[in-house]
Parts: sequence; C-alpha cells; structure tokens
Amino acid sequence: MAAREPSRFLSRALPRASVPSIRPQGFLSRRNVSDEAPSRRLSDHLSELESASSLSTPVPDSAAQSFDPVARAKARKTQLPRGRYQFRSPKYDRGPLHPHQPPPASDPSSRLFVPGPFSAPRAEQTYDATVAADIMSLCYVHTPPGFTPPPKAPRLREWDDSSPYHKNRVLRGPRGGDVLRLLRKPIKFNNIPEIERITIHSYVNKAATENSSWLHVAGIAVQAISNVRVETFKSKTSVANWGIVPGRDSVAVKAELYGENMYHFLGKLVDVVLPRIKDWEGVKGTSGDSSGNITFGMEPENVALFPEIEVNYDMYPPKMIPGCHITLHTSARTDKDARLLLSAMGIPFYGKIVN
Amino acid sequence: MSSGSNGARRMVSLLRPSIVDPGVCRSCQETLGRRSYASAAPAATETTSTSASTTPVVKPAYTINAGVVLSRPPQITRDLEPFEKSYYFYQKRLNERLALPFTKYFYFKRGTPADEDWKKKILERRTAARDIGKYNAYDSEAWNDELLLGAKESEPEHQVEMLLQDAESTANATSQDTSKKEEIPRPFPRVTEADKKNDQKSLDRLLSRTLYLLVQSKEGHWKFPSSPVESGETLRLAAERTLAQSAGVNMNTWMVGYHPVGWHAYNPPRAKSDKQTEVEVAGSKIFFLKSRIMAGQADLSVNTQNLKDFKWLSKEELSKYLNTQYYSNIKNMLADR
Repeated sequence: MAAREPSRFLSRALPRASVPSIRPQGFLSRRNVSDEAPSRRLSDHLSELESASSLSTPVPDSAAQSFDPVARAKARKTQLPRGRYQFRSPKYDRGPLHPHQPPPASDPSSRLFVPGPFSAPRAEQTYDATVAADIMSLCYVHTPPGFTPPPKAPRLREWDDSSPYHKNRVLRGPRGGDVLRLLRKPIKFNNIPEIERITIHSYVNKAATENSSWLHVAGIAVQAISNVRVETFKSKTSVANWGIVPGRDSVAVKAELYGENMYHFLGKLVDVVLPRIKDWEGVKGTSGDSSGNITFGMEPENVALFPEIEVNYDMYPPKMIPGCHITLHTSARTDKDARLLLSAMGIPFYGKIVN
Repeated sequence: MSSGSNGARRMVSLLRPSIVDPGVCRSCQETLGRRSYASAAPAATETTSTSASTTPVVKPAYTINAGVVLSRPPQITRDLEPFEKSYYFYQKRLNERLALPFTKYFYFKRGTPADEDWKKKILERRTAARDIGKYNAYDSEAWNDELLLGAKESEPEHQVEMLLQDAESTANATSQDTSKKEEIPRPFPRVTEADKKNDQKSLDRLLSRTLYLLVQSKEGHWKFPSSPVESGETLRLAAERTLAQSAGVNMNTWMVGYHPVGWHAYNPPRAKSDKQTEVEVAGSKIFFLKSRIMAGQADLSVNTQNLKDFKWLSKEELSKYLNTQYYSNIKNMLADR
C-alpha cells in the first residue's frame, strides 16, 4: 500500500498537471498502459479544446441580418412529416419497463411541464442580499471554546419501573400537555429562517347558505391575487345556524404559493396593500402556531386593494369579494424567529408579543 | 444535585481565576467560570498544582479595537445577467404557447372604446401579453419563438417601456377628453447622477450594491472606522462611540446585534511598549460590528479620530483602497451584492 502512494518530493518536483490525483475519480482515474501512448496523452486531449467560448466570437453582421428562420422554413420544397420532428409525450406512464418513456417534467415537451420562473422577485433579492445576513448576525450566540451546553432533560418522560406493566411501554409526553414542540437549533449559515410558502385561504359561508356563485367569485379573486390555481374544500364541521353539513357543502378555497409567486405576492402585500389599509395596526403579536407559521386575516375591502382586483374591480360583484386568511409558513422553528424574519421583510406586528 | 454546600462553591469560585487561559476572551472566561460546579471543581484542583510550579509568563498583549462596518443595503434589484434575461423571456413565450388563450369576450364588451382599442393592439402585436414582442403562440409559425441576435425584447427596460406605452395608449383611446394626453411617469433611472459623476461620497451611487463606509486617516491609509475599546466599555458601546466620534451623529444607524462579524489583527514587525503603562503591546486586534445606515450622511468635520476623508464603496472597490492583508481578513464578512 505504501509503495503505491506517490512520494511527497515527487509531487513537488513534477509540474502540477502531471501529478496523479490522490482522490479516486471513479473510472476516470484508472490508468492503463495504453494511456501512455502519444495519441492518448492528456495534454493532447486538452489541446483539442477551444480556448474561448464560441459564443464570445463576434458574428459577422451580414450573417446575423440574413438569418431568417421563417423564410428558410417556407423556402423548403417539401416539408418533413410532423412525426419526424414533433415529439409527443406518451399520454400514460406505463411503468419503467415500457419502451416509450415520458420525458422528465422539466422538459418543455412533457405533458407535466409548467413554464417558469419568469423573473427574479424583488422580495427574494432583498432577503438574499440583506435580511438573511442580518438575521444570522442577530441570532448568533457565542459559545466560548471548551463550552459544553448543560445536558437537557429528555423530551419524553420515562416510566418509573414501579409496576411490571411499565416494561416496554411507550414513553410519556411532556408534563402539562401532550404536544411536543419543535426543537430550536442554533441559527447558523445553513438554517437561517426563510419563507417557505404562503397559503391564502378563504372560507365563504354564503356558498352553502345561498348559492355557489360566492365560491366562484372567491376562487377567481384568490386566483387573481395569487397567480395560483385554487383548490376548493368541503366543510369538515357542521355549523347549525348556517346550515352547513360536513362533507356536503363546498365552502372554502385555498391557494398555496411557492417560489416566485410567493415572493411576488409578499412584495405586493408589503408594499402596496398593507400600507393602504385604514387604521390597521399590524399583525397581532399573539398570532402564530408556535412553530414558526404566522397567520393573519384580511377583510373583503382590504382584499379589494390588491392591484389585480383594483384594476378590474368592475368585473367582480362587489359584495362577493371574499376576505381571507393568509398564512406565512417559515422555516423558523419558533414564532419569535418567524416574527424576526417577517418584520425584516416588512410585516408589522403589534400588541403583546407571545412566543 | 443541589446538596453541595455554599462554602464549597465559594472556595471553587476563589480558585477559579487561576484557570485563566490567555487565548480566551474575558467575557468567555466569565461564561466558562459560570459553567457547572461539577466540572469546575476538578479543573480547579488541577490548576492549583500547576500554578505553584510555573511562574506566569507575560506575553505581549494586543490592544482591542472596535470597528464599525457601516453599510447601506441595496436599494434596487440587481442587473440581470444576459443569460437570465433570455431565459426569462423564453419562459414567457413558452408560457404563452402552453397557456389557454386570453378570453377577450369576458373582459371587453363588444362595441366599447376599450374593445376597439384591444382590436387595434392585437393586430399590432398578435398576442395578449404586452412584454414578449410580436409573437402569436397559436400561429403556424409559433415554433419561431427564439429571439434573433440584437433583439431588444428580452431587456427589462424595453419590457417596462412597452407596458407603460400600452397603458398610456389605452388611457388615451378610452378617455372622453381627447385634448389631454395621458402621461404615465417613467421609473427613475437605475444609474444616478452620482454614478455618472463617480461621486464616491454620495449615498445615491451604485443603487443595486451594498455600500460600505471607509474613512481615511491623516496618515493616508483607508480603513473602517475603528478605535480602542476603553475600560469598562462593551464592544457594542465602543462601536457606537467610534461611529459617533468618527462619522458624526448626523446619521440614523442601526447596529445589527451585539457580536462582531469579523476581525483583523495588526501585527507590527516589532512589539512596542506602551509609554504610559509600560506594558508591551504586540499589535492590535479590530473586531468589526455590523451596522446599517437608514438616513443621514457621514460628516468628518467634527471627528476626533484623526480622519480626513470618507468614501462609500462597494465590495470590489474596497479591495483597491484597503491593504491586502486587511482586505483578505474582512472580505468574507461583506455581502456579495
């Protein structure tokens, strides 16, 4: 083994390129005697590569101006049959052994392809350039060298073996409640809280008491402000005075926003809609599910402030514009961290702050 | 656990100063000392035996300085790369090909001015989208969805201009009053006056980048504002004082946290001894705290730190002004953009 290791002095004496890499690189690192032949030297292969990208070479103006793909296609005497150049993805996935496989969903010819992204959202750029680094500095906790945190009690309580029936029994939950809260890890560069998704949910009770048009309008309005197709939901609970029966009446619409849509929505919310709400103090400090997700409600007249609805206000029956609940799901483990993130992104909080 | 006597604890705490490690800062030593009684006791017995045998070695000490990295965050979005521009544009045209057609009859009533305006525009640009150029996604030539060399359609400025022109022409075509022309204000330019004049003292320059405040001492070298921490002062207080003493109080700033985000050690070739205390000084260590400027401007006219000039610079420009060693120590605490 030791004989195969390259000598320290050898590697120094040789030029950098000819030193064999210590790290195994799969089959590429396998060397054969035939590799030493002059036709297969590494340097010869490298010399074949072009030094500059072909894109950087200037195109002559005449070539650029005379290039007209439509005219070229029309000048063709005989057209190719469609099947020769238009790929159609199979309609059904018939399993991995079928010879006709659908392309991956990222391929534009796939039936599952969804185009996008179309822009780099401003809110996301603000988060990347400013907010993330500030949160990391704010949440830093210094642990001096040699410091070991005191051991914590186990989260689940064990049974004292006072009874023989305690053997192999599942552990008990914490005292005072049966919910195990999320563990908060120290915030480092790799777990800075960020907004994961936004849910817009609207419960329209008139959809059950009157007619379905309320639900249609609510769905269209939520779709308009979110740029996401909504899902409708049937009621799970019975509400006697509205005559809602569980499982019968569709009463709610929901849109889940991710990525680009989410950041555009947040930007609109923070910069256009929330500042225009009259006498609005902010999101309540008590809001949150204590695992980093914050919810607040919007009245119908505030939903109408969204620019997408405002430009087109006449198209909506004014009474039917819905209110909604907006949930901001963050990757923070506690509401305190989530509030830190959201207030940095521009959402105000007021009142008693509960963590 | 709680059965240990109070007297034993006091004895341990008396013995504790002997475990001082010169590599650990004072506040950390206090934290370590406060740690746990169980682990402190054996450590204490260990060190009493060693401290008796060895004489304390006086190492030349460093002076601790507090520095402030005062920054103005980016005000506008970054400039897109050419590849990003073409990618986003191509995705828009793909979307036009794959989405359901625009339902004109839902949005425009027949015979209204808005409808007439729509008809005129759709003849011009062939599509409902206003920012993807002249392109019909339902045509037999819809396959020709790529831009030719030198086309402006993928430029964000061009797209914004198209949207605004469309809004203006709609407003003009549908308004009752034909004498007045609707003018929608254009967005402010991304390149400001300060950029054109290369005014490096202005906070209006390089709007899409983070700017950092750099000050020049009377001797002529550039640095972040910094000064020695006085006795009984925390790093944060020292940083706030440094900022007020160097760049004036005419700034609305926010210190980000209480912890330094980076540090730089200055080692002169030969250790000097301090004239007043006769303690040998090995050099100085600067611990940088992060700060953001909200409003105001730096003003060196009343500074007490021997400074003569200041500049607001981006990360790349910092490397031209700062000493190589200094820059290599601080560059990783600066934002990329």
